[in-house]
Amino acid sequence: MKSPAALDQLIDALRCLPGVGPKSATRMAYHLLQRDRKGANGLAVALDTALQVIGHCTLCNNFSEQPICSLCTSEQRDATTLCVVEMPTDLMMLEQTRSYKGMYFVLMGRLSPLDGIGPKEIHLDRLIKRAQDGVVNEVILATNYTSEGEATAHYVSELIKVRGLKVSRIARGLPMGGEIEYVDSGTLAQALLERKNIT
Amino acid sequence: MSSLTTKRVTSQAIRRIDNQPVYVLHTYPFKETSLVVELFSKDFGRVAAVAKGARRPRSAMRGMLQSFQTLSGAWSGKNELRTLHSLDWSAGLLLLQGEAMMCGFYLNELLLRLLPREDAHEDLFDYYTQTLQTLMTAKELANTLRKFELTMLQEMGYAVPLTHDENDLEIDPELTYCYEADYGAKLSGTSLGTHQNGVQLLGKTMVDMAQGDYRSARTQSQSKQLMRYLLAHYLGDKPLHTRQLLIDLQRF
Ligand SMILES: [Zn+2]
Repeated sequence: MKSPAALDQLIDALRCLPGVGPKSATRMAYHLLQRDRKGANGLAVALDTALQVIGHCTLCNNFSEQPICSLCTSEQRDATTLCVVEMPTDLMMLEQTRSYKGMYFVLMGRLSPLDGIGPKEIHLDRLIKRAQDGVVNEVILATNYTSEGEATAHYVSELIKVRGLKVSRIARGLPMGGEIEYVDSGTLAQALLERKNIT
Repeated sequence: MSSLTTKRVTSQAIRRIDNQPVYVLHTYPFKETSLVVELFSKDFGRVAAVAKGARRPRSAMRGMLQSFQTLSGAWSGKNELRTLHSLDWSAGLLLLQGEAMMCGFYLNELLLRLLPREDAHEDLFDYYTQTLQTLMTAKELANTLRKFELTMLQEMGYAVPLTHDENDLEIDPELTYCYEADYGAKLSGTSLGTHQNGVQLLGKTMVDMAQGDYRSARTQSQSKQLMRYLLAHYLGDKPLHTRQLLIDLQRF
């Protein structure tokens, strides 16, 4: 039996979501059309609106409805520190710590040498311009501790350092309340290598 | 060889490999929550295996999928895509930083592009390990790469004759030669052959390369030219991403 063209189109469209293959897409489409047409309508409207009103903040590159987002315009933030993260979710996680009051720059990715993702794709030119606004004096690199995140941190740090700004990298090691017995060997080895002096 | 145990599944024996020394060369998304992991293994060469569920937040495999670390892998299957069961730490931590890490990515890209799947290269595996350790000291990165490029081509069976010329005469360090892929060196200025591409270089460069001696500045620059030319010849038209990335980064 041949399914209607519009249904095929919907299934195809749903497959653009990360991690959604043909099976999940079909399940989603049936669910939306059969069980939750109201939800489906809400989704369609929300998606349409979001596409029209959401762009990127010209300062931090995060998603924003305004040319400059509320975080970047906030008077409460410390404009002398700039924290570089890979994704908006990373920014959210850092905000949840409630221990950082500075500004952000969201790369929307990471350098990925083997996939051909380079400086242009992660907006390095804009980051460098942002860091040189005359107010920022420290750039904190909070990219992932994966090989790609590390490579990204290295190149950003080189580019920031030559421009006379202080650069730091978030620390890694044992997790909060971490028991050595249960921590993985890689983390432990890293923690040993990067141990710090007690003064 | 690693211990092999066989399991019988619907009358078809599926080979299970355990405790195999491996490196992760690269990973890419596969289906909804999995990853395809390109491994370089000691006894089986390049193997592609699916790490099921490795993109889930709490996946045990997630943190282990790190390049440049000697790991111990277990997988099974008969298809081109094996099923990866586990990856474990098997040696001390290898810490590549900065430029050395970019060199590591370059090695991985070379292996991905040139090494055919399921073709065992134990010596190259050991040489890769040794090269990563040299890179870790972050000294003489360029020379380390030249040695790896040459060893890799030779281990993979491409002839890169450096001690004798086309006519089987010993290379004279004082003379200038023209080096051509698949043929080797011939004295520069001698009669034009049918093949006319190639790289001009001094005999000494080849003699130095054959001995792994990269102290001379001219040997460094000429060997770089020669290896770039040979790699381009064997890689074909598609340029290396890692090289392009370094070029792009230099523009800042
Ligand atoms: Zn902003």
